[in-house]
Amino acid sequence: MLNSGADLFFLGLTAMEGSDNADQGSSEQADSQRRQQQDRLHREEAFYQFVNNLSEEDYRLMRDNNLFGTPGEITEEELLNRLHQIRDGPEQPHSSNSSSNSSSNSPEVSRGEPSVSEAEGTEEASNGDTLLDWLNTVRQTGNTTRSGHRGNQSWRAVSRTNPSSGDFRFSLEININRNIAEQQTQTEADRLDAEQSRTDGSVSEPETPMEAAEVVEEPVVEEMAVIVEPELPAPNSPAVTRPTSPQNQLPTSPSPPQVERPSRGQIRARSPSPEQRRTRARTARSHLALSLDQLDGLPQARHGLPSRSPDPVPEVQVDGSSRTRLHVLSRQNIQLENEETIATTEPQPAPQPHQEVETPSGETGASARRPPTIMLDLQVRRVRPGEYRERDSIANRTRSRSQTSNNTFLYETERGGFRRTFSRSERAGVRTYVSTIRIPIRRISDAGLGEATSMALQSMIRQIMTGFGELSYFMDSDSDSTDSSRGSNPAADLADALGNPDAGSPSTVTEPSLGAGGSSQSGSEPQTEEREDSGAALRESRARQRAPVSLEESGSLPFLRLAHFFLLNDEDDDQPRGLTKEQIDNLSMRNFGESDALKTCSVCITEYAEGNKLRKLPCSHEYHVHCIDRWLSENSTCPICRRAVLVSANRESVV
Amino acid sequence: MQRNSRLKRELQMLSTEPPPGVSCWQLHESVEELQAQIVGGANTPYDGGLFTLEIKIPDRYPFEPPKMRFLTPIYHPNIDNAGRICLDVLKLPPKGAWRPSLNISTVLSSVQLLMAEPNPDDPLMADISSEFKYNKAVYLEKAQRWTAKYAKQKNKGPVEAEQNILEDRSNKTAPKREALSAQENVEPAKRVCT
Repeated sequence: MLNSGADLFFLGLTAMEGSDNADQGSSEQADSQRRQQQDRLHREEAFYQFVNNLSEEDYRLMRDNNLFGTPGEITEEELLNRLHQIRDGPEQPHSSNSSSNSSSNSPEVSRGEPSVSEAEGTEEASNGDTLLDWLNTVRQTGNTTRSGHRGNQSWRAVSRTNPSSGDFRFSLEININRNIAEQQTQTEADRLDAEQSRTDGSVSEPETPMEAAEVVEEPVVEEMAVIVEPELPAPNSPAVTRPTSPQNQLPTSPSPPQVERPSRGQIRARSPSPEQRRTRARTARSHLALSLDQLDGLPQARHGLPSRSPDPVPEVQVDGSSRTRLHVLSRQNIQLENEETIATTEPQPAPQPHQEVETPSGETGASARRPPTIMLDLQVRRVRPGEYRERDSIANRTRSRSQTSNNTFLYETERGGFRRTFSRSERAGVRTYVSTIRIPIRRISDAGLGEATSMALQSMIRQIMTGFGELSYFMDSDSDSTDSSRGSNPAADLADALGNPDAGSPSTVTEPSLGAGGSSQSGSEPQTEEREDSGAALRESRARQRAPVSLEESGSLPFLRLAHFFLLNDEDDDQPRGLTKEQIDNLSMRNFGESDALKTCSVCITEYAEGNKLRKLPCSHEYHVHCIDRWLSENSTCPICRRAVLVSANRESVV
Repeated sequence: MQRNSRLKRELQMLSTEPPPGVSCWQLHESVEELQAQIVGGANTPYDGGLFTLEIKIPDRYPFEPPKMRFLTPIYHPNIDNAGRICLDVLKLPPKGAWRPSLNISTVLSSVQLLMAEPNPDDPLMADISSEFKYNKAVYLEKAQRWTAKYAKQKNKGPVEAEQNILEDRSNKTAPKREALSAQENVEPAKRVCT
C-alpha cells in the first residue's frame, strides 16, 4: 500500500476548507513525505521480518518486556539490540565498593569489595534507561546485583525475587564521593574512608539515611508506601558537645543542647565522630538529587555540589539550595536541615535554644570525603486479601485524626482518585512514618520503555511525588513541633498540608517530561526562599514551602521512575483482566503462508505478509501475534466478534 | 504503539472511502488530533446541519478508543453540553465496546447512527432523554431549533454544495468500504454512561 505523498495531505472531503491547502502541498513536501513513507515502509517490513525470524522464546521475551516498539518506527538494529540486551541479561554482577549500611535490606549480597573497576560501570550508570532496562531484565533473571560508577558516585542495585510468592524486591544504594575534584586522585582514600565510615555507621548507628518504599499489590488498587523508620536508640545519652573546630566561625547559640530533643542528641551520641556522621548525612541529602539525575542520564548539574569554599556560609547555602530539591526522608536529615538553616541565619534569638551551628569546616578535613550512602528499597509483594483491612477500614475519606495510646497519628486524604494516607506512630522510642498512596493502576497507560512522558503517567508521578513531599513535610513539621517550645500543633500542620499539598508549586502544573532534567534551574530560587525564611525564623512557613518545592523535581527522580517501572509492570485489578501470558501463549500460532487467502490484520490494518506470525483465536479470527497479544494482555475478547477468548472467562463473555 | 502507522492508513482510507455523510481530516501535522464533520441525517431533527467533532487519538490507539467530542452544539439525549458523547464504542471493555478492529471511520458511523437513533435508556442528558421518551414533539422541535441555530451555515449555498459533494463522493465509494465495515457489527447502544 504505497501512497503518494499528496494523498496524505488530502485528508478530508470537506472541500471548502480542505482542498485548497492540500493542493498547494509543494512538490518538495510531497517528495519528503514520500521518502519518509518509503523509509517507514522499509522499517515496517524489517519489523515484520524480524518478528518472523524470532524464535518463540525470544518473541515472548521481547513481548513480555514491551520491547517491540512501533512497527515502521523502530529500526531492525534497535530491535536486535534490545533482543540481545534482554537475552544476555544484565552484565555480570560485580559487587561495588559500596557496602550497604547496617540496616541493609539486602543482606544476601556480598559486599565490601573495595576494588572495583570504575571505568567499567561508567557507561551504564550514566544512562537511566540502562537502569530501567536492567530492571526489566531482572524480571527474567531473578536475583541479580548490578553496580556502576559514575562521576562522584557509585551505585549498586540488588534485586531479589521470591519465585514462590512472586514478591519482588529491589534496592538501590548510591554512594557519593563528595569531592569530585579530588576524586581521581583520592579514590582509593575515599574508598578506605568510605569503608571506615560505613563501619562506623553500622557499628555506632543501626541506620543511615534510608528510604524505604513498598509497592504493594492489592486486588483492587496499587499501593505504594513509603516507610521511613529512623530507629532512634533508647533514650540514654545526654547531649553531646560537639568538638569545636577552628572553622566554626558562626556564632553559636548560648544555650547548650537540650536533652528534650532526645533524637538529635541520641543520634549524635551514638556516633563516635558526630561531625563525620553528620557530614555524611548532609551530603547525602544535598547530593541525592544530583546523583540520581546522573543515574538517569540527565544533564549533570554540578552547581549543586558544594564547592570546597573556605567560607562556610555560602556553602551552607549551596547545600540549602539542593536541599530544597529533594528530601531524603529521614528524620536525621531533616533535623540537620533545621540546623543548617539556622546556621545560615545569623544569630538567632532562641526559640530553639539548642540550635547548634553546623560546622561545614569538618568537610574540609579528612572526614569530608566520607561518601554518603543512600538506600532506596522498593518491594513489590502480593497482599493477601484482608491483610490490609485495618488500613482499609478507615471510613473517613477526607481526613481523620486519631491519636491512640501508642501515639499514632493517621491522616487520610482523597483527591483526584488518588488516596493517600499518612500515619505516624511512636512506640518504644521508634518513630515510624508511613505514607501510602493508592493508585488505581488503570490510570497509567502501558507506555513503552522510555516513554515516560504520557500525561497519565506524569500526573501519577506528580501524585506520588506529592505524597513524598507531604511525607517530608510531615516529618519536618513534626520534628519541629515536637522540638520547638512553641508547641505548635503537628496535627494542624499535617492537616494543612494534606489540604493543599500542591499549594505553592505551580511548577507541578506544567510538568516537564520525565528525564528532561529540570534539575539545573532549581538552584537560585529556593535558595532565596530559604534565606528569607530563615531570616524570619518561621519554621512552619519554611516547611510549608519546602514540601511543594520538592515536587518540582519529581520528573527527575529515579525512584519515581522505578515506581513507574513497578507500576507499569504490575497488573492491575482495577478492571477485568486480560489474559495471562500463559493463556495467550496457549493460543495457537502459525505462520502466514502464501496459499492463505489474502487477509488483513484488523488491529494494525496491515495485510499479512509471507511468514508473518499469526495467532488464531478460538473463534477462528486471526491477527498478527504482536497485535493481538497486546490486546489480549488487557482484554479477553476477540476484537472482531467480541467472543470471549477463554471459555472460562465467562464474566467477559457478554460485554 | 502502532498508532501512527495505523492512523496513516486510516486517514488514507477516510480520504478515499469515507463513510456516507462523514468526513475527517487532520488538524495539524500530527495525527493526534483530527476533526470530523457529520452531516445530519435526513428524517432526523438534525437534517441540514453540519456537525463538527473533535477527535483525539490516544497514544495507545488502537488499543484504546479515540476520544470524540462534538464541537457543534447539539440537542441530543446522549450528548452533553460539552459535546461529550455517550457511546459504547467510545469506551473500553468491559463497560464499553471499543476494540481494535474498529476504526475512526466506523466509530464516526456509529456516532452518526446515534444521532439518528438516540438511546434514551442510557441518557447523558436526563431531561432531554425524558423529553425524547415522553414528549417527542418537543424534543424534535428543540433539536431542530438547535440545529438551525448552531449547525447550519449562514451561507446556505456552499453548504448544500458541500453536502452534495459529500454525498456524491461517498456514494461512489461506498461499496468499497464493505470490506472494512463487514467486520463491524453495529449493535444497539448499551448503557455505558450511567
